[in-house]
Amino acid sequence: MPAAGGQKEGQNVRRLVVLISLGVLLAVSVTLAACGGSSSSSTNAGSTSSSANGKPLTIGISLSLSGDFSDPGHAAQKGYQLWAKTVNANGGVAGRKVKLKIVDDASSPNQVVTNYQNLITRDKVDLVFGPFSTLLTGPAASVAHRYGYAFVEPAGGGPAVFQEHLNNVFFVQPAPTLNCGDPFVAYIKSLPASQRPKTAAYPSLDDPFSSPIADRMQKAFEAMGIKTVYKTIYPSETADLTPVVEKYVAKKPDMVVAGTQSEDAYSQVKAMVQAGFSPKFVFLANGANSPTEFPSKVGAKNTEGIFSCGDWFPTSKANGNPQFVAAYKAQYGGTPFDIDSTSAEAYAVGQLIQAVAKKTGKVDNKTIISSLHSGTWPSVEGNISWNADGSPQGSDMLLEWVGGKLQPVYPPNVALTKPTSPKPPWGG
Amino acid sequence: MHLFIQACILGLLAGGVYALMASGLTLAFGVMRVINVAQGAMIVLGAFLSYTLFTKLHIDPFVSVVLLTPLMFLVGVVLQLVFIRPLRADEREELSLLVTWALALGIEGLLSVLYKTNYRSTITSYADNSWRVLGYHLSEVRVFAFGMSVVILALLYVVLTRTEFGRTMRATVQNPVSARLLGVNVERVSALGFGISVATATAAGAVFGMVTPFFPGSHYDLISRLLSIIVLGGLGSLGGAIIAALFMGMAEAVFAAEISPTWSSFTFFIVLIAILLLRPQGLFGTNERGAL
Amino acid sequence: MSRFTRTGALRAVVVFGALAAFPFVFPAQWIVNIAIFTLMYAGLATAWNLLGGFSGYLSLGHAAFFGVGAYAIAIAFTHIGIGGSGYKPFFALPLVGIAVALVSVPIAWVALRVRAATFAIVTLTLLFVVQQLAFNLHHITHGSQGLALPPPPFDVSTFEQPFYFAMLGVFALAFFTCWWVKGSKLGLMLFSIRDDEDRARGVGVRVTGAKVIAFAVSVGFTGMLGGVWAYYIQFIYPQFAVDPLITIGAVLMAFLGGKGTVWGPTVGAFILVPAQQYMAYKLGASELYLLGYASVFLLIMLFLPRGIIPSISDHLARRRSGRPEEPPGAVASAPRATLPGGMAP
Repeated sequence: MPAAGGQKEGQNVRRLVVLISLGVLLAVSVTLAACGGSSSSSTNAGSTSSSANGKPLTIGISLSLSGDFSDPGHAAQKGYQLWAKTVNANGGVAGRKVKLKIVDDASSPNQVVTNYQNLITRDKVDLVFGPFSTLLTGPAASVAHRYGYAFVEPAGGGPAVFQEHLNNVFFVQPAPTLNCGDPFVAYIKSLPASQRPKTAAYPSLDDPFSSPIADRMQKAFEAMGIKTVYKTIYPSETADLTPVVEKYVAKKPDMVVAGTQSEDAYSQVKAMVQAGFSPKFVFLANGANSPTEFPSKVGAKNTEGIFSCGDWFPTSKANGNPQFVAAYKAQYGGTPFDIDSTSAEAYAVGQLIQAVAKKTGKVDNKTIISSLHSGTWPSVEGNISWNADGSPQGSDMLLEWVGGKLQPVYPPNVALTKPTSPKPPWGG
Repeated sequence: MHLFIQACILGLLAGGVYALMASGLTLAFGVMRVINVAQGAMIVLGAFLSYTLFTKLHIDPFVSVVLLTPLMFLVGVVLQLVFIRPLRADEREELSLLVTWALALGIEGLLSVLYKTNYRSTITSYADNSWRVLGYHLSEVRVFAFGMSVVILALLYVVLTRTEFGRTMRATVQNPVSARLLGVNVERVSALGFGISVATATAAGAVFGMVTPFFPGSHYDLISRLLSIIVLGGLGSLGGAIIAALFMGMAEAVFAAEISPTWSSFTFFIVLIAILLLRPQGLFGTNERGAL
Repeated sequence: MSRFTRTGALRAVVVFGALAAFPFVFPAQWIVNIAIFTLMYAGLATAWNLLGGFSGYLSLGHAAFFGVGAYAIAIAFTHIGIGGSGYKPFFALPLVGIAVALVSVPIAWVALRVRAATFAIVTLTLLFVVQQLAFNLHHITHGSQGLALPPPPFDVSTFEQPFYFAMLGVFALAFFTCWWVKGSKLGLMLFSIRDDEDRARGVGVRVTGAKVIAFAVSVGFTGMLGGVWAYYIQFIYPQFAVDPLITIGAVLMAFLGGKGTVWGPTVGAFILVPAQQYMAYKLGASELYLLGYASVFLLIMLFLPRGIIPSISDHLARRRSGRPEEPPGAVASAPRATLPGGMAP
């Protein structure tokens, strides 16, 4: 403890500490204020007009370029940049060159809020596009909503986003993520009753994009009279699904409908192969829809007849998709099947802004919001329309592994080949 | 009943690998009272290294264990010298927790830069093979992984009980002050002990990568399990850690199969609470410094 | 023990006065937004310090209680429907704090049966358990689907201010509690536990009581901060509400500023949070985020293990007196004073 003589020193030290802390506080505030320029509190970016021809159209985007979502974050970045490059090569949007300002949110919700705050109130960007993942889209959308910015976003399709009833949100995929099993349900319904499965198992991953898909399908199938013999939700760190698979193998269901993500889908297929159990129908929500990774993980011979769902397909003929695929190949190389659908989703966001600009001649947030709320809009994701909450009103497509290739098979208007069933035994 | 026995087999095989993972952790605590929160990250690092050797050079993970463990042993010694030794002895126990946590974050960060953040798994040609014994199937990879863990743990046991180095290490665990008085170079033993700990993590990581998909953030889940295991076994007790690991592995698998996979990771916590209430020093811990 | 130092009080008045005036001097939303996160972490680090810094029991699981607080507010909103939105959630905060503190008492009692190292393990495990609970208890937390709170109906131009003042309020409460505890009998008990728990028990200090009280108060504040955060962010997901990085951030800040001191955690937070938020935004696409975080942490641990404030006081004291080294007790020489009743920022 400071002795009596130390009292004075102690006070000096304390004074110094105060000075330092105040100094830091001031320094931070001054820097922030200086960087921020005028810190006026009114921002009416909503009324940015397009009259400022020649001035670049700046679009702010926060993406997860590091952290847990960094892989899809980078895929989205590719899509956005490809769109900006393509559109600038053709004279820009409404005569204005597009300038993207992409910042990193490190997969953190606090940072995503900070980033959109900074983009809108500090950098005063003209438009903002969405980040990757529902988990970050929600907080970001509500910041954008506050300032009247349209929030056209490629990845946040979970119910929590639409539940907020924000009129500025537009999810750029044909259907809300949870409805991705609908085409499969419709396909089963289209089969003659004798060919339909009688029993089903629903093992699903606890993930915002997985188990709810299976839940929704289970309800529909139960209404069709298909008996549920097994249902479970396993946590995301369950890397080994052998025990889960063992359980439903024992019930011998005709159909396995699994709300999967990626590794868990592979693990389930492998465990079924090991157990020598081949149901008549296998639907894996995600994982099986990856054209290159799925066969490499489970073996190409084990893919035959497996169903999955998709919002976009490389060989689709939808609006501008062939051009997108060609541009992607020219820019990043690889085959069309290496393109992550997140890139296409991000590209589609840009296409919509372009379409609004073409139709109205304007690119301000008010126009974008009111335009997108009426009518149907074209993109590589298909023609999309939204309800008041930004939930898309279309339908995803059913994909199936046919002849060693992943193909859209249902609904018929997007199918490139016919669906086949029942699934052949493992090994083809 | 069939499912129950099948779950027990799976759990036992997984428990063997947990035992290898936990052995290094409890050893490091015993020797220098350091709780190495980075043990999980080291395991994941081992998994990535053997994944790279397998995908780039086609070296089987069981072979790469032989190559990687000496290398990672050295890395462990260096880490101990750079990050643990400078900590003041009276604060080492608490500061080492934070330092190793920072190390874990550093390793996670490094791996996410090098490998990105999606899941990987090391898939060998025999990955899908399994034997059928009396109607139960035993995955080849898991049996090999279990076997390897047993072999390494047996080696560790021999080193600790039959060699001069092992004797000095056990002396340090029991009483560092008198060990020092008896001429044991405690700092040297600590560095080597940490090296061994990291080496076991690497070996366990190589097989972990074959059994389970992993990504740079997998270490959080691993470390929380391993810490529960060593608390259950008694901090610093090698035998306790092995028995606790086998028990936890089986308990988790049975819980997952019989009750619910969603809640199975809670077996670890339930057991941990029970231990804290009934026997805070762990099953095999003593109130003295941990016995080996 | 209750000594009132004028400099100490003056400093507190000046700092908290400046903080109260801050959003009016700098009303730009993006600045207030960063200030909100800064105050949140200052509060978290200060609350953590009350247990970790004073008693030496390093909790690695405070994020668990941050999450409990966040979910408490979110669940009250969505399931019980406490008056929709507006200012009401702020009025519920004290209840959240008290509830979290009460819930933590049995946990603390069990976790504190063991010595510091095991305590750290248990709290770390607790963090993962609470996260898992948030995932698994679908019917109340919506699991991985997350909970969405209705948008607060505040005016755009001053939208952030209620959150700013809520964070400031909880932070100030935590700060002055810490200050008071430091000069109180409880503080003495905690310091004696940190120095030598067995001896403290031997001379009749009721160590268990002191530890449990410190734990409960500490996590109570943490829960309240979680509640404000939840309302501000509006979307609660298990992996974000119960995030190991929240604990590690708070611990890092306490260490940087000086654990065991009253001002240390605040100084640490005021340096690190704006730097972190602003750097991440400015430098953008740096893959090296976690690595940078880990390096800063390691550097502090190795070269400044006692933190800025003790190191500075040490340095000054040595220079003035020409003495080589202060006894370890003196390094924690931040104000050893209690507040006179009625003094508020």
